[in-house]
Amino acid sequence: MNIQILDSWLRTYLETNATPRELANTMSLSGPSFERVDKMGNDSVYDIEVTTNRVDSMSVYGIAREALAILPQYGFKAAISPLKLAVEPSSKKSLPLTLKNDPKLCARLMGVVVENIKNWESPSWLKKRLEASGMRSLNSVVDITNYVMLEVGHPSHAFDYDLIKDHTIQVRESKKGERIVSLEDIQYVLPGGDVVFSTAEGEIFDLPGIIGTKNSVVNKNTKRVLFFLDSVDPKKIRRSSMALGIRTIAATLNEKGVDPELAKTALLRGLYLFEEICGATPMSKIYDEYSDPYRGKSISLEKEFVDKRLGISIKKETITRLLSALEFSPQWKGDSLSVGIPSFRSHDIDIPEDIVEEVARIYGYQNLPNVLMEGALPVPVFDTRFRFESNLRSTLRALGGTEILTSSLVSKNMAGKGALNLKNPLGADTEYLRVEMEPSLVSAATQNASWDTPFHLFEIANVYLPRKNALPEEVLTLAGIFSGYEYRDAKGVLEELIVNQRINHPVKLTQVGECFYYEYKISTLEENQKPPTYVPIPKYPPQVEDITLILNGKTAIGEILTALSTPKLVTMVSLLDIYENAYTFRIHYQHPEKTLSDSEVKEIREKLLASLIKDFKIKVK
Amino acid sequence: MKDEIVNIRNEFIAQIVDVKTSAELEELRVAYLGRNGKLTNIIKQVKTLSDDEKKEFGRLINEAKTTLVSRIEEETQRVKQNTQEKVDPTIPGKRPLIGHTHLVSQAIADITEIFSKIGFIRMRYPEVEWDWFPFEALNFAKDHPARDEWETFWVDTPVDKKYGPMLLTPHTSSGQIREMQRTKPPIRMINIAKCYRRQSDVSHTPMFHQFEGLVIDRGISIAHLKGTLDYFAKSYFGPTRKTRLRPYNFVFTEPSFEVDISCDICDGKGCKLCKEGWLEIGGSGMVHPNVLKNGGLDSKVYSGFAFGWGVERALMMRSGLKIDDLRTLYSADLRFLTQF
Repeated sequence: MNIQILDSWLRTYLETNATPRELANTMSLSGPSFERVDKMGNDSVYDIEVTTNRVDSMSVYGIAREALAILPQYGFKAAISPLKLAVEPSSKKSLPLTLKNDPKLCARLMGVVVENIKNWESPSWLKKRLEASGMRSLNSVVDITNYVMLEVGHPSHAFDYDLIKDHTIQVRESKKGERIVSLEDIQYVLPGGDVVFSTAEGEIFDLPGIIGTKNSVVNKNTKRVLFFLDSVDPKKIRRSSMALGIRTIAATLNEKGVDPELAKTALLRGLYLFEEICGATPMSKIYDEYSDPYRGKSISLEKEFVDKRLGISIKKETITRLLSALEFSPQWKGDSLSVGIPSFRSHDIDIPEDIVEEVARIYGYQNLPNVLMEGALPVPVFDTRFRFESNLRSTLRALGGTEILTSSLVSKNMAGKGALNLKNPLGADTEYLRVEMEPSLVSAATQNASWDTPFHLFEIANVYLPRKNALPEEVLTLAGIFSGYEYRDAKGVLEELIVNQRINHPVKLTQVGECFYYEYKISTLEENQKPPTYVPIPKYPPQVEDITLILNGKTAIGEILTALSTPKLVTMVSLLDIYENAYTFRIHYQHPEKTLSDSEVKEIREKLLASLIKDFKIKVK
Repeated sequence: MKDEIVNIRNEFIAQIVDVKTSAELEELRVAYLGRNGKLTNIIKQVKTLSDDEKKEFGRLINEAKTTLVSRIEEETQRVKQNTQEKVDPTIPGKRPLIGHTHLVSQAIADITEIFSKIGFIRMRYPEVEWDWFPFEALNFAKDHPARDEWETFWVDTPVDKKYGPMLLTPHTSSGQIREMQRTKPPIRMINIAKCYRRQSDVSHTPMFHQFEGLVIDRGISIAHLKGTLDYFAKSYFGPTRKTRLRPYNFVFTEPSFEVDISCDICDGKGCKLCKEGWLEIGGSGMVHPNVLKNGGLDSKVYSGFAFGWGVERALMMRSGLKIDDLRTLYSADLRFLTQF
């Protein structure tokens, strides 16, 4: 969560010689992240990201408290001054208030009644502070509740005391379908199980911790104000706030677990401001329902544990100093450390590792060394397929292919039969997990229809084949498409890939419209990869001759090639040229131990041609 | 006449040495062996001579002619090389066609290579997973926002009794538990894989890539994490780049950090593109004891660190490429793909 606060507001409580920029840079290294420092006249506004586990820092005072621990580590002076609080009013002559709490729903309820609001307009300094924090000034009473929240970190509320029937607050859970009208005049239907304040008869008059309702909030006719704080179960707050879509600052703080111990400080701070700004007078004692106050908590760990995690040895005195600056209570017994945790950190400090973090961040991560691991290396893994995949990729690139990465999430008609679908897709075009690649590749080719030269796209990706009661089988697949290629050119690319990678596997292209498509399981290709073999370089040169055959149009070239390759001494046959139905083949005759004579070649050739003529009814040109 | 023949021959030999072009050579040939050539004219005179003279001069003339012809032949080769048309270096070459590997593949290859140098093994884990691996076992609370239907894609299949609902991995961290199940420490694993999150705008694609590092052994410290990340940053981004850690909060690491890399545009001084001289690259932290426990390891014996960063982000940060809409990466547009 990001909060915006004025530098001058922070400095009301924090005394330091650090400039705003210095303050921002140092704080970011050891605490909340000061993302921006913006000039605002003579002042500056900080935009601070506070992580969700640190609701205690989501306020001016919370930031000041962190700064007190952090700044001295960077050589800056830092001191903190206390909040100005009201004197607790006496309990004599108190206006009545009955709090009927359920401690399971609400850890603490606190309130005080004030009367005689003389001034409904906030002073300009207060307005300026609120506005810098992104809040609009409404009237002094509402402004004070917001001001207290931003300064102290505890949300608060102002009721019209006289609108609360019988001056009784009943805490209960809502029933499904109950309605409220917010102070912004919007009606909400409650999902049920929301913590609400109601009259004895059951009429809801507040959605505590989230938003006030119109039937109880202060208004221009209000005579007496009930300034109120509550600590509703954070999980309940989150649930209701999300379900209703009411994301007030109060709700986003409360759902993170604001420290109930803070309520009293916030109440007395608010009361002080009511007296100072509004000229109001307290008319009641402080009402407080708090059945289970914080009893303290401590974490035990060894010095060795801290040292091992940090990678260096830190003196015990240093650890004590760093933790004490954060209001922790460290106590040593030999090398064993017990750390008392203040109430406002009791939510996020649970295990020894949390203490390590506090020590390390205040000590400064930049003061720890950069060290690479020593020790044994992991046991090697041989079958991860990455190298094979990378070789395919670079060979295809060398052969003119362009790699694409398309989404595994596709529409139903592109996914293939039986594909898994998502419960919560972003849209119909990304609803299914593809079980086949072809439609994606075809679509990719179509998208490039205006490309003016032949192209070859390929992709290496998983397809996801569903299995019953199991995760889908993820099959790594190579798929590609040729557009604008002659069949022989396309096939030649794949033949070269297969030969170059020593894969013993047939090449297959399917025609899709004007394109040729291919697809292989990577595992199949890899399983059929042969190790490289060495054939001794022949000592004698081959006899090379070209033969042109007239085919009858019914014979497949592959068969002729196979037949031509049959004689043992024919070492290579290639198709050299095609003219109408005349096919020219180049034939290498080679004997491993001698140069073949013309008559020997003639003998092989004549035998070969005779059988071709007989088997395929061809003519020799 | 004898002297004349010898003179012609010598004169010719002297002249042919200076010949530079084939045109000059031809000129020379015509001057000596042409219809009115010097030697031709001598030959013409032969028939006026007596038989004895014919015999004597005929031999000399033949010798001279042979010399001239063979010298011309010899010089033809030399002159050819000399006079070959000069190459125009501004003429464009004929480029053989090669293709393009995808930018993301290139980045993955680079990242893999760097980590393999310091002993990391690249692994692959399911991209479609059970909730337990990316969430439950990684210490995510049941009501953590990442687990709701607005951030993670859920697969429409029955829930597994042990591992929960099926999903598309929202981060590569699901590999942490898989690796702890696969092998015992020492673990140095790098997992680079597709991830899916329910967001699509100019800076987010529903499918993207992360690289996850996991190190578990006895005595692994924050100093090791710093050393490793700094090694990567210097190898991938350049030797002058620095890294720093800032406190952060992730549920599966304790402590957790944001990692920043010094900005190369302003050299760490601070500019429009960075935050006070630093660029955020991603998160990291020391593996939470609950995660070790869920991976079957004793947190009293072992400790570790992990980090999971965006491949696309690292790529953009290194290359300085400004791709205004990240979704372009996953389009099949050749006008884009052929640029890299």
